[in-house]
Amino acid sequence: MGAMGLALPWEARITQGPGGLYLQAPNENCSAQRGRVEPTETTTGVSCVAAQLSPDDSALASACQAGDLRAFERLYHLHGSRMKSMARNLLGTTSDAEDAVQDTFLKIQRSIATFRGQSSFATWSFRILINTCYDLRRSRMRKKEVSQDEPVAPEAAPRPEPRAPAAHPSLKLALERAVSQLTRHQREVFLMYEVEGMRHAEIAAVLEISETASKNTLFQAKKNLRQMLEAPRSSAAEAR
Amino acid sequence: MNIACNDRERILVDGTAEEWAALEAHADDCAACRDEVAAWRNLSVAASELHEQWDSPALWPRIERALAGQSASTRALWLERLLGSWNLTSLRWQTAAAALLLIAITGAAVWVVPHRNTGDPFAGSLLKDRTVRNVEKAEVAYEEAIDKLDAQARPQLENASTPLMSSYREKLQVLDSAITDLKLQAGVNPANGHLRRQLLAMYQEKQDTLEEVLEAKPQ
Repeated sequence: MGAMGLALPWEARITQGPGGLYLQAPNENCSAQRGRVEPTETTTGVSCVAAQLSPDDSALASACQAGDLRAFERLYHLHGSRMKSMARNLLGTTSDAEDAVQDTFLKIQRSIATFRGQSSFATWSFRILINTCYDLRRSRMRKKEVSQDEPVAPEAAPRPEPRAPAAHPSLKLALERAVSQLTRHQREVFLMYEVEGMRHAEIAAVLEISETASKNTLFQAKKNLRQMLEAPRSSAAEAR
Repeated sequence: MNIACNDRERILVDGTAEEWAALEAHADDCAACRDEVAAWRNLSVAASELHEQWDSPALWPRIERALAGQSASTRALWLERLLGSWNLTSLRWQTAAAALLLIAITGAAVWVVPHRNTGDPFAGSLLKDRTVRNVEKAEVAYEEAIDKLDAQARPQLENASTPLMSSYREKLQVLDSAITDLKLQAGVNPANGHLRRQLLAMYQEKQDTLEEVLEAKPQ
């Protein structure tokens, strides 16, 4: 199998650090860790989410249970950014992502009494977020189906939302499309691990699966993505 | 550590740092593994580009408002359920209130009659003239204060059409009716301390109800 047609210039940005492999300097904040490359589980030690799961995770949960809005605000400041990104990748637009995050917080408030501390509060919140994203997606799709029955003005048709300027927008778009074709489980694991920098232990807790299952699912997801991204280029090369 | 091509998949799934280093060393001399490892890495790098961060300064205030709104409506729902369990709108509640009032008045009358026969009009719970005047003065002031509260709550009671507000309206009507009856009784027998206490309890109930109306979120 030949090298996948992903842009090699990125490889130059990969640096080896004491905690593993980084796209940028390893001492940068959590956002730098987003660019990690295997192996991370045993070398990076603490992921972004875990780093933010300070001992006051349970205190935060208790404060939320007591109805303290400042505790919800703290939860938002700790995990809101990652929640938005995850929701953006599951739903496709920033506005839907923000709606999903808002719905997630409302669901957290509604069901906080049922939180028993069997998993971390952040993990529990992420599980709610993911379910909320799928609920929202289903409701958007139903609306779309209804609106398709009626004549729609051309300007009202949904357009893919442009992402922030990136080095290889076409590659990103291709990857985004490929990710959307993965199975739900593979997509969730891939996004949480590769995009949001979560550890397999955390992913396992969020999705209520074993760590081994998380690792195997990630492997399958990447294998499938490779095939999806490579196929058109190979056929193009053959055509030449 | 010696790594062969057939170890590659296992390392890609769950390799340690040491195994990855060995795989990379092996990949230097193995074209198939080199391509595979590079592609694997490039995919991770490309994936990291999918992480999006954007400022949304309006999002938290929006969430905060929604949380506060949900919290308030949960409290109102709880109150509504509580009042609903009393079934304020039913005739049963009103009948029970009327029966209680009747028992109170009858009880007061039964208590007052034997005490009248003692020949001491100021004994027991019968109030002295000065005390009656003071009580009446306090009652008037209390009634005026409650009327002001009533005037504040009235628009909310009249305009809202929720079952909760309907229940409040009916409860207040029952209370007003009871207050009128008690005032009539107290007019006939102004020195009766029990009637005065009943009247005070009704005023307090009315005040509490009006305060609840004012605290309830307008729909």
